Amino acid sequence: MPNAKLPPILVVDDNHDNAEIIRQYLQNRGYPITVAHGGDEALALFETVRPAVVLLDVMMPGRDGWEVCRIMKQHPTLGRSVRVIMVTALDEWQDKREALQIGADDYVEKPFDLPTLAATVQRNLAMQRAMAS
Amino acid sequence: MSDFVLLSDSDEAALDPAVQQLDGWSLERVTAGELANAVAARPGVRAVVVASSDPEVLRAVVERSHSCGVPVVVACADDTARRRAVELRAEEWYRCPADANEIAQRIRSAVGRGSPSGSLEDRVERVEYEQMLHDSLTGLPTLPVMIERSRSLFKERGELVVLYLNFVRYSKIEEIYGWEKLDAVLETTAAAVREFLDDTALSTSRLMVSFTNDDDFIFFHVPATGVAAASENEITDMVARLQRHVGGRIEAQHGEDIAALFDIYVGRAHVYYNPKIRLERMIYRGIREAANAARSIEERERGRRVADLRSSLRDRAVYVDYHPIVVTETQEIFGYEALARGVMRSLRSPEVMFDVAAEADLVWELSRLCRSRAIEGIETRLQPNELLFLNVDPHDFSDPAFNEDEVKYPERVVIEITERTAIKDYPKFRERLRIFRERGFRFAVDDAGSGYAGLGSIANLEPDFIKLDISLINAIDTNFIKQNLVETMVRFANDHGAMVIAEGVERAEEFKTVKDLGVHLVQGFFLHRPLHLPLPPIAEPAKR
Repeated sequence: MPNAKLPPILVVDDNHDNAEIIRQYLQNRGYPITVAHGGDEALALFETVRPAVVLLDVMMPGRDGWEVCRIMKQHPTLGRSVRVIMVTALDEWQDKREALQIGADDYVEKPFDLPTLAATVQRNLAMQRAMAS
Repeated sequence: MSDFVLLSDSDEAALDPAVQQLDGWSLERVTAGELANAVAARPGVRAVVVASSDPEVLRAVVERSHSCGVPVVVACADDTARRRAVELRAEEWYRCPADANEIAQRIRSAVGRGSPSGSLEDRVERVEYEQMLHDSLTGLPTLPVMIERSRSLFKERGELVVLYLNFVRYSKIEEIYGWEKLDAVLETTAAAVREFLDDTALSTSRLMVSFTNDDDFIFFHVPATGVAAASENEITDMVARLQRHVGGRIEAQHGEDIAALFDIYVGRAHVYYNPKIRLERMIYRGIREAANAARSIEERERGRRVADLRSSLRDRAVYVDYHPIVVTETQEIFGYEALARGVMRSLRSPEVMFDVAAEADLVWELSRLCRSRAIEGIETRLQPNELLFLNVDPHDFSDPAFNEDEVKYPERVVIEITERTAIKDYPKFRERLRIFRERGFRFAVDDAGSGYAGLGSIANLEPDFIKLDISLINAIDTNFIKQNLVETMVRFANDHGAMVIAEGVERAEEFKTVKDLGVHLVQGFFLHRPLHLPLPPIAEPAKR
């Protein structure tokens, strides 16, 4: 059962298997998880779920992760507090600069291992709490 | 008798079966004109579906319903109606024609808000629309919204004054400090503008502000009935006060360096209502006219600054701020960055001063003056073991007057070369650096990591110091990608025998983070304010 005290997380990945693996792993740690399988779906769920953290795959058909991140960060009320973690291999300096420019807060390298992913989620939640207070 | 009443002015046939789907609801139809009053007067009204395309009716219905706690669904015939619906913050909207299921779902969603329904595309659109209508930073309405709001006032009063406020050099703030800083400065600006307007005499008339999403603001001033529109003099006076007010706020919150970059140029246009021309077009023309007026004022001002610069060069009216650079671990002073500033108020910011010099082809001359002023400090300001960090533009190396013999103590000088200026001829440039290096000069790459180039171009210059771009340091404690980039840079420096300097460290959290990441040297307000030599009296620009 999701722990009601933990803040909601939105997992966005067009690959159903990936999304499912992340969902189960984080849900077992008590986080309430909502899954979206595309950029549009993620944006549609954004105001309802009001996620504290979004785990956002970059390579998606249609609206990609960069665009979704940009739109979420510009949301008049939720944009300020949401932490966006890009799920992608940002090898180059240029990729990371690009991610900063778009407003991303953190990234998890693909292929990811689950403990790293959970640690990344945790440090961003901690940062979000610190910034809220 | 049902418990819940849905009130509507819509004649859509689908509305009846839609209401039948809702348990315990009934439909009452009234005319568009009666709708707003009916919401308050009829008992049992739990939701409203409004279809009227008249913006005034729509506004009245939404406002009245919300004041009674009744949710509103807007039946939208076109895009304009949809935009209005979102702008007025109606709970739901749907596109006409819609089938009964869709309408029923929208009504349920409006009533239950929090369990929204509707097709995926519509909800995505809603998020996008919200973003388009109100600027998320400044909270100000965007232009289409403002035109919508001023429409009836303008028609009624027959005239409208457009003020175009061009806030210049905000792009420079982004270039130097990064977009987060620019966002913060824009936020301060918008708050200061709002605060000012609440206070100004013009607020007795209707005044509206919009933000164009760049760095410009637009005011619409519709004089109240029986009051004359603001005169040229009143506006000039208002602008001067606004400039002081906003400038003061920016300085208080973001420091002198950023405030020194800031300027407003205001253009004005008077638009008279003409029923033969579309209202939007009249307003857009007015905006363009006002923007052009602002630009020509800016041109004039630029001419004046060139004159100020010429007289500054003649009188050597440049002074130098020395910014301490300290060892991160011990916080001992390691050296100073020399930052030249104009004595004249209009040239106080070094960025402004060099921009003006570039326009007037006086860059070498200004650079020579700044260098010689800065070098004077080695003997008068610095302890024997402290280094002087000197900004040199790569173009200065082609100035015949700049050579390795210019300085008496080359081993105490670190030449900072910015990564921002593209170096065209690398082999030739490196050859020049080699000659300086042999004399004992050391080199720093300034603004490192500002571009997308990464570490390659830094390695090319074989620097002794790497000065991180300010935008990487600003709020580094909250952003893990920045931390990762700085970590990479420190590792690179350690491998190449260089030291990393973090510039712009303003908060304790930033200091702690860069320290933990192993950054060797730190510069910024958190540890030290820049030191002034006794300031020369501030000369006002020559009579204009």
